Amino acid sequence: MHKFVQEVVNGLTTGSLYALIALGYSMVYGILKLLNFAHGDVYMIGAYIGYFVIQWFGGPAAVSIPVPLLLLIMFLLAGLGCGGLGVAMERFAYRPLRDAPRIAPLITALGLSFFLENAALLLFGGQFRLYNTPEFISFNTGIHIGAIQIDIVRIMVIVLSVVLMIALTLLVDRTKLGKQMRAVAADREAAEMLGINVNYTIAATFFIGSALAGVAGVMAGLVFNQVTNTIGFLAGLKAFTAAVVGGIGSIPGAMLGGLVIGMAESFITGYVSSTYSNLIVFGILIAVMLVRPSGLLGRVQLQKV
Amino acid sequence: MKARLSIAALALVALVAAGCGSSSSSSSSSSSNTAAASSSGSSSGNCAAAIGLEAPITGSAAPLGTEQLHFAQLAVAKDNAANGTKITLVQGDTQLMPAQATTVTQQFISNSKIVGVVGPAGSQEVEAVGPLFGRAGVGFISGSATAAALTTGKNPTFFRVVSNDSVQGPQDAHYIVTHLHPKALMIVDDQEAYSTGLVSAMLPVFKQAGISVDHESVNQKTTDFSSLVSKVSPQTSVVVLPWQLAVNAQQFGRNLAEQHKNAVIVGTDGLFSPGTFSINGSYVSSFGPDITALPADAAIAAAAKAKYGTFGTFGPPVYAATHVINEAIASVCKSGQTPSRSNVLAAIRQTNQPTSILGHPIKFASNGELVGGKFFLFKINSKGKYVLIPNA
Repeated sequence: MHKFVQEVVNGLTTGSLYALIALGYSMVYGILKLLNFAHGDVYMIGAYIGYFVIQWFGGPAAVSIPVPLLLLIMFLLAGLGCGGLGVAMERFAYRPLRDAPRIAPLITALGLSFFLENAALLLFGGQFRLYNTPEFISFNTGIHIGAIQIDIVRIMVIVLSVVLMIALTLLVDRTKLGKQMRAVAADREAAEMLGINVNYTIAATFFIGSALAGVAGVMAGLVFNQVTNTIGFLAGLKAFTAAVVGGIGSIPGAMLGGLVIGMAESFITGYVSSTYSNLIVFGILIAVMLVRPSGLLGRVQLQKV
Repeated sequence: MKARLSIAALALVALVAAGCGSSSSSSSSSSSNTAAASSSGSSSGNCAAAIGLEAPITGSAAPLGTEQLHFAQLAVAKDNAANGTKITLVQGDTQLMPAQATTVTQQFISNSKIVGVVGPAGSQEVEAVGPLFGRAGVGFISGSATAAALTTGKNPTFFRVVSNDSVQGPQDAHYIVTHLHPKALMIVDDQEAYSTGLVSAMLPVFKQAGISVDHESVNQKTTDFSSLVSKVSPQTSVVVLPWQLAVNAQQFGRNLAEQHKNAVIVGTDGLFSPGTFSINGSYVSSFGPDITALPADAAIAAAAKAKYGTFGTFGPPVYAATHVINEAIASVCKSGQTPSRSNVLAAIRQTNQPTSILGHPIKFASNGELVGGKFFLFKINSKGKYVLIPNA
């Protein structure tokens, strides 16, 4: 039983991270029909921001401010920094290509991904940067019931992810900005004719999606400890898979897809073999696409002719 | 629109300039080392040549690659001073990836000044570049590629200054069986040739000893091992990680601690990284000794520490490999010839050094294998220090 619970916690942790990153893919696709392949690298930048915040406040072994405050600053700066990066990417790389053939922004997204990865290499070096989380958040804090050991950091990641996902759902469903985002996603030209500031709405979408990826980067640093310029690739690929499984363009779909991929990875590794983990995860992607090409919660797009 | 284009062009120019600046500064740094060294040599002569270095200078294995680079630079400087040669070092960053190593190898082969190559670091890279170097007749010596299959004939110009996995794998496995007495163990390969080769060499020993083995496999890019660690049962007292990335093993150790599991980690060469892998009670076997404990290496160790800071066991074998090529070039010059790929390769084959920085002689068998090499086993104490286990 304890192993099952442990796998659920492991799956929820990685699934939450995938879901947060997948939201950015899905939101941008929903509004622009653009696969922003640089999104995984935004997550990487978020992880670096968290690392440098720890260093600014004395390093993991000698943090000079209360740990909750440190975490708050890490999440805030990563969210704001990555949000700003997302807006800059949209403004300078994607907006000029908004009316270009769809292959052009797709290639630009790939180029931007390599640009960010190598810019990080140039700025921060190729070596691993370590959060060393146990030095300021002990393993002994958390839930310990018999053989079940749940680290406080994992609990924080799961709770914060749920809070962010609920907040995003409320924002999209109940605010003016959310209504504008849905309108632009449904029909950009019609939204513009109705007086919606399309550029602002798209920039806001990039800001929110990128900020979530930045927060996910800090969470990943706290749980997995290591940051390097290449971590965005695999995380981005898994999150993209999650977005597609859930139904790209669908916000609840991205959340569900992230959790499905995270749980599948965890249970396959724990109960079958780590050797087959990726094989089965991507097998799930193929199976879902065969049965429901629009994803678990995606809607079939009607082609207007 | 024009403003946008100008900004984009400016950004591009700045990035290219930054990249060029970085690369030229590193190459000039290595050139200045060698130039300074040659000017202080006993007789300058006209013995000029270039050697290539293939190492993971950036990327996930950058800590070990930069250490290899530093020790290669030290060897070039010292040998230029001692032999009066003008050898320069050309750096090639492979990022521990076979594809990147292949690109670097093609560049080296097309550079006619390069008469020999040190590296690459990983067995999977040697597998990729060996036939290319073989066709070009370029001798190359690795200081860390240990897969046994590399010397079976596919890589005719390959040499190494360290022993291979068929020595290390069984030696480590026997130590685990006879000293750690596990009833069950987990062994995890990282899906690279180096790792799978070692696992293949260890498994028969464990099976013969009747140990229950859970063989797992993870990609080097994996950063979360919590699900794998949840498979470590109470009976599993040893986890063997023949990995190339110490940072991943450190995370594995943390996941063990997070789940309050007490299995002992036994790792191999890649885990020898005192600043990175420091799980108390773990074992690490390495092809290289701790040269700071060898009196004969005191001067080199002090010079390396003063110039580059602390180091592990990946640098010294590269120093030894570089020294072999430097001496081969010097011997070619002494015989009145101009160093070329063929005569340097022939001189490498004739290498017979009675001692080396590694504390053992260096002589190659006809297949490029080191004659009489051995491995060293260390245990990590509570302060993260690596303590040599004598006669392990």
